[in-house]
Amino acid sequence: MSTILKAENLEKVYRVGRVDVPALRGVSLAVQEGEFVAVMGPSGCGKSTMLHLLGGLLTPTKGRIVIDGEDLTAASDAQRTDIRRRKIGFVFQRFNLFPTLTAEGNLRLAERIHGNGADEPDRRREILRMLRLQDKIHHKPLELSGGEQQRVALARAVVNRPAIVLADEPTGNLDSENSEIVLKMFRELNDRFNQTIIMITHNPEAAAACQRVIQMRDGHIV
Amino acid sequence: MDSLVVSNLRQRPLRSAISILGVALGVALVMIFTGLAHGMSEDLQKRSSNVTAEIIFTRPGSLSLTSSSANLSTKYVELLKQIDGVESVSPVIRYFYQSGAWGVDQVEGVDWDSFSRMNGIRLVQGHPPNAPDEIVIDETKAARNHPVGSTLKVFGPNLYRVAGIYAPESGARAKMSLKALQDALESPEKCTFIYVKVKNPTDQVAVAKRIDQAYPGNKIQFTREVFASIESSIPGLNIFMRVLVGLAAIVSALVVMLAMHTTITERTREIGILKAMGASRAYIISEIEREALLISFLGLIVGFVLAWIAGFGIHKATGLIFQFGGWWALTAALIGLLGGALGALYPATRAANLDPVTALAYE
Repeated sequence: MSTILKAENLEKVYRVGRVDVPALRGVSLAVQEGEFVAVMGPSGCGKSTMLHLLGGLLTPTKGRIVIDGEDLTAASDAQRTDIRRRKIGFVFQRFNLFPTLTAEGNLRLAERIHGNGADEPDRRREILRMLRLQDKIHHKPLELSGGEQQRVALARAVVNRPAIVLADEPTGNLDSENSEIVLKMFRELNDRFNQTIIMITHNPEAAAACQRVIQMRDGHIV
Repeated sequence: MDSLVVSNLRQRPLRSAISILGVALGVALVMIFTGLAHGMSEDLQKRSSNVTAEIIFTRPGSLSLTSSSANLSTKYVELLKQIDGVESVSPVIRYFYQSGAWGVDQVEGVDWDSFSRMNGIRLVQGHPPNAPDEIVIDETKAARNHPVGSTLKVFGPNLYRVAGIYAPESGARAKMSLKALQDALESPEKCTFIYVKVKNPTDQVAVAKRIDQAYPGNKIQFTREVFASIESSIPGLNIFMRVLVGLAAIVSALVVMLAMHTTITERTREIGILKAMGASRAYIISEIEREALLISFLGLIVGFVLAWIAGFGIHKATGLIFQFGGWWALTAALIGLLGGALGALYPATRAANLDPVTALAYE
């Protein structure tokens, strides 16, 4: 297994008014290809900030992030967008689907943004089948249950074969039954496609499904 | 529905409709005003082109496009006949009057025999205007429910009876006898101008010179110059058109800008999602511009339809003539599309520059 993500001594300080608020205080981690990693910790410990840094949505105050051989911290804003487009898939707690598009429309939008020019109906169908969404492709998000919406969001995140899926509390808005289904899907993606996943969670049962658990506190990995 | 652009428009039908209508109004304004100006001037020009006299003899300041006075003595009729090269002459009073709420109309007092012979005008129905309360009208006016025998209010409180219908149309659509109009205007022995037909049209300049030498201080015009371009002879018309076009462009741009600004504020979170998915600034700008262009395009279609309906309705109600030109339609189309594209540019750029984490946290 090769290292697909490496973060070295990450620091992030937010400026709130005239006050500097440190969110990350020197975090280092390495994630291997195909690894399913959970990040746990109390609210405000810096989990989401770390996820946003790893996804290139934020830039660190200090430190270095290398994803699949590309240095995210040395990249310009446009380059980071490009790396994110090619190598990262996001899953959010609130699903964040486009409400005006159908399930299939959400996936096709991701494909268009990815811009590989190839319409891959087989890949799309395989993912939808695996996530048991084949009967829901023409449904809009409001016509789907929370669990189904999150599965569509997961399908959207992986449809372009990203190097890493970053999931921010993906079961946080789901009941236990749907949480279990979504977690099963994550595991299946990890098993079948060797998909690297980093998942923030407060749920110990969700963390138990992962191969490794990273604990954070006060901006540090403990 | 896979298209984000189309589905966004369908998501907010009322706002989309208002935006489309805003663009449509700008386009329709351009089409209606230019169509009216062009149609009316073309109509005047067409009617004027049926005048076969080569020279108009008048007093300085007695005749313009929208006003006239009867201050030329009809004694000149006999005097002009004596000029070498003149074949025939015909005195005319042109009188402009308030016509309803829609502006001015005109009536002419003519010596029917000389006028119709000179210009090849024939009566298709009825007889010439003889009595003081008789008029003849052209076929266009007759088609607006004015058959022979009906009465018509032309100017003043009196009703005039339609004695005949003539063709082809020439000058004012309604004509009465010269004497009747002289009496009505209390201008005996006066007219506005005298048409002069020369024996040989190639000699018209020489004949005009002879008239000028014989009767200096009057105004001599060639009909080919007077009627060459009525549209360009209306002072300030082109400037007015350009100002109108500019205003329409601003209206279109503002409507689209407001619509897209509201849209983007509402969709801040969605823009954050797009950014998280790796959408570039160019992609986000192009999505918003495509939406604005779709609104503008639909506004364009609706604007053309509105202009056509308005033109048809106004023509039916008032007789005003619209002529929608291809050039102005193209101008209106460009204004609608460019206005929309430019109006959306600022909100689109603003959206593309949003911070993704802040946008994702937007409630």
